[in-house]
Amino acid sequence: MTKTLLEVQNLTKYFSTPAGQLHAVDGVSFAIEKGKTLGIVGESGCGKSTTGRAILKLIQPTSGNIIFDGRDITDYNRNQMRPLRREMQMIFQDPFSSLDPRQSIFKLISEPLVEHKMFKTKSEVEKRTLELMETVGLAKRLVNSYPHELDGGRRQRIGVARALALNPRLIVCDEPVSALDVSIQAQILNLLKSLQKELGLTYIFITHDLSVVKYFADDIGVMYLGQMVEKASSVDIFAEPLHPYTKALLSAVPVPVVGQERRKRQLIRGEITSPVNLPDECRFCSRCDESQEAVCRAGNPPLREVKAGHFVACARLN
Amino acid sequence: MENSSILKVKDLVVHYETDDGCVNAVNGLTFDVGVKKTLGLVGETGAGKTTSALSILNLIPGPAGKIKQGEILLDGHDILKMNQSELEKMRGNDVAMIFQDPMTALNPVMTVGEQIAQVFELHQKASKREAFAEAKKMLKMVGIAESRANDYPHQFSGGMRQRVVIAIALACNPKLLLADEPTTALDVTIQAQVLELMSNLIHDRSMSMILITHDLGVVAEICDDVAVMYAGRIVEIGSAGEVFNETAHPYTEGLFNSLPNLKQQGEELVPIKGMMPDPSNLPSGCAFHPRCPYATENCAKEQPGLRHVGGNHFVACDAYNDAAFTLGGGVN
Amino acid sequence: MVNAKSRSMGQETFRRLLKNKGAVCGMVFLVLLVLISIAAGFVYNYDTDIIAINMSQALQPPNANHWFGTDALGRDIFARMLYGARYSLIIGVGSVAIGLVIGVTLGAIAGFYGGFVDQMIMRTVDVFYSIPNIMIAVVIVSLLGTSTMNLLIALCFTCATSFTRIARASVMTIRDQEFVEAAYEIGLPTWKIILKHILPNCLSPIIVQVTLLIGTTIIAASSLSFLGIGVPLPAPEWGAMLSEGRQHIRDAAYMCIIPGLAIMFTVLALNLLGDGLRDALDPKMKR
Repeated sequence: MTKTLLEVQNLTKYFSTPAGQLHAVDGVSFAIEKGKTLGIVGESGCGKSTTGRAILKLIQPTSGNIIFDGRDITDYNRNQMRPLRREMQMIFQDPFSSLDPRQSIFKLISEPLVEHKMFKTKSEVEKRTLELMETVGLAKRLVNSYPHELDGGRRQRIGVARALALNPRLIVCDEPVSALDVSIQAQILNLLKSLQKELGLTYIFITHDLSVVKYFADDIGVMYLGQMVEKASSVDIFAEPLHPYTKALLSAVPVPVVGQERRKRQLIRGEITSPVNLPDECRFCSRCDESQEAVCRAGNPPLREVKAGHFVACARLN
Repeated sequence: MENSSILKVKDLVVHYETDDGCVNAVNGLTFDVGVKKTLGLVGETGAGKTTSALSILNLIPGPAGKIKQGEILLDGHDILKMNQSELEKMRGNDVAMIFQDPMTALNPVMTVGEQIAQVFELHQKASKREAFAEAKKMLKMVGIAESRANDYPHQFSGGMRQRVVIAIALACNPKLLLADEPTTALDVTIQAQVLELMSNLIHDRSMSMILITHDLGVVAEICDDVAVMYAGRIVEIGSAGEVFNETAHPYTEGLFNSLPNLKQQGEELVPIKGMMPDPSNLPSGCAFHPRCPYATENCAKEQPGLRHVGGNHFVACDAYNDAAFTLGGGVN
Repeated sequence: MVNAKSRSMGQETFRRLLKNKGAVCGMVFLVLLVLISIAAGFVYNYDTDIIAINMSQALQPPNANHWFGTDALGRDIFARMLYGARYSLIIGVGSVAIGLVIGVTLGAIAGFYGGFVDQMIMRTVDVFYSIPNIMIAVVIVSLLGTSTMNLLIALCFTCATSFTRIARASVMTIRDQEFVEAAYEIGLPTWKIILKHILPNCLSPIIVQVTLLIGTTIIAASSLSFLGIGVPLPAPEWGAMLSEGRQHIRDAAYMCIIPGLAIMFTVLALNLLGDGLRDALDPKMKR
């Protein structure tokens, strides 16, 4: 029987800036089942990274609830979160800045093990570290190397090994392959996928790259200016995108195919608006080709289920 | 077809001499860019794409970087033989470059109008007033309100800054535009806008362009011809249709197989095994042979030259000698 | 453990440093100086060789018996010079070491926590920074009296302020790096994050500053001794020797030149080493 591993209810995160309240994340809700992958997609400034960090309590949410495995962890302080760190981990985006340049690979991978006192003897720690390296495809001879001696792909594997060290159940992947070359991306994606099968991991996969998320995710949430504007299974989103932003996003992705009928691209006009002091209307309205003034400016549309399992935040469709 | 090339690069070799050895960034690069055509220069990190572009402007950072040999003919004139004043006349005027990061490409203490006007003042000897007026026209052409000519770069978003960079590049109507990953740092929807803009402007002004990118989707969208680089050499070159639909080189095939694209779902990605070779320590013979699923013994011995495969299509692969040889699986 | 050929940042830096001839010269000089200052304690007897007055031998220019000549009180300058090295080194290294500990602690706290704590610490530091170290030394010495130890204490204020600023700037940069976030993410407590992850990455500018600051501190110590408020006579501190030589600068110029050159070369060696370290530690200088 599938169980919901993580549920996020109305998560918000506001930052105070001199210009006003910055709505980084503004009412995001979703649930993930054990063993599945949720892809969170959006462009820069949409709040996806902030959402990922809030889930792991690296950032304290302004309001809303985060329920992990039935427990409400929203207000857990750092001490209470410590044991939970063994269950939820993160893979960071930049393989160049997410590893301490002064630590050897051994130290980097074994640090979580040592910190959480997972093993009694040093040799057990060594054994587990080498095991982890093998799992992620890092040659054992690299164990005393330093990050600056390795390329991006290998560094990202270190990040994966570190995330796996504590045997977590949930891993938040924040753009894990964006900084990598295409051929290395494929290697890391395959690795992540096989680990999921082998270890029963649940992923939240944050990315701006729609083609990667199609390959990877069971369900997808599209974010724009801090809100989730569409949420559905991966199949449904690509087959039938309903929100104008999703449609434009899909249309904008350049497809590596030559010779077929050049599809009509829907270009979104204008630029993303500032997430500070937003008025109470649809946030995409000013850039939307399909907007209807009367309806769209009447208030910020909530995320509603318009078809089975397919949620959209669009005033016209409600 | 000699006259229909605006740029001819022949046997270009560029090395960087460092403490840790000699980095062979570019090893015998040969390609042409047709008049009014866009060539996509594709490759991954370390393939030598940016070095190639900088060579065209003779801007390789010395003293470590040296152009060891080769010819770069721009409209018949060899760039590598030009003296400093000829180079200064050429840069910005006949050949312009757009760099990757719009955040750092603009001078933060000059207004955007001034930065565009600078180009006019320099190459067309225009007065400050005339130059600024032209600058405003350029802003309009790239889709920025003329009234913003007095704003500073930090007041613009990434996409708009890149438009300003494009305006600077196109100001003097260069014959050739070098665009080094111009949209990589931008969001995908902004990327679409900027690419559309570039495409339109290039066609309107009958310019040629070399677009450097690692994104095959971008190449498919706006390039006429494609050259694939690996370890400082071109391994495959041809029209976009030929390279995408009649892929001839195993590396190119590997790139396509690694791409998760919107067409497939759930199919296993087939990455290219192994890693890019260290440019200071390249494999013998064909640089790709250690990773190539079709490699033969001979591949480790001899470096293959570019062979004609059909139409405008050339590939640097010895296995192609064998008439029965075809790449497995094909593309798409 | 499986071992592989790999170099830590420290080894890599040292290797690069060795390629810089100036830095190597500086290092060699300093090592020799340290050895000399230690050896001098064994070879010479302080009372008989260093401070004993011997008027019959006074003001002899450099000769076979006295390689650097003698001063106005007949004391052998060579012996005094070798013995005097220890004062400069002890004060230089001592001040900087104390200043380092205080400064880095304050700077790390200010840089890490920011906000009010940062303001408090930095404004206090600014007060000390704005007072010339000679003035601070004068105040301390007049309160505590002249002695080597008091001079050391007086000079460590300037060192501390310098390190506070550097440490703060470095910590603020490193604090926002992703690997620090990664350290939080596995549940490390804050103090461990600062000690294990942040401070080790701030070492480069601090190390460079150490060598340069030892140089300036030595000059400051010598200046203060020259003025008479540093190491008390008859100790053979180089600055004090310079001061004594002032009256004889016409007829016995060697009394000024020799200590002057010694100070100069020491500081030069430190600066060469410091520059070399800065280059070796700078990743962009790799090419």
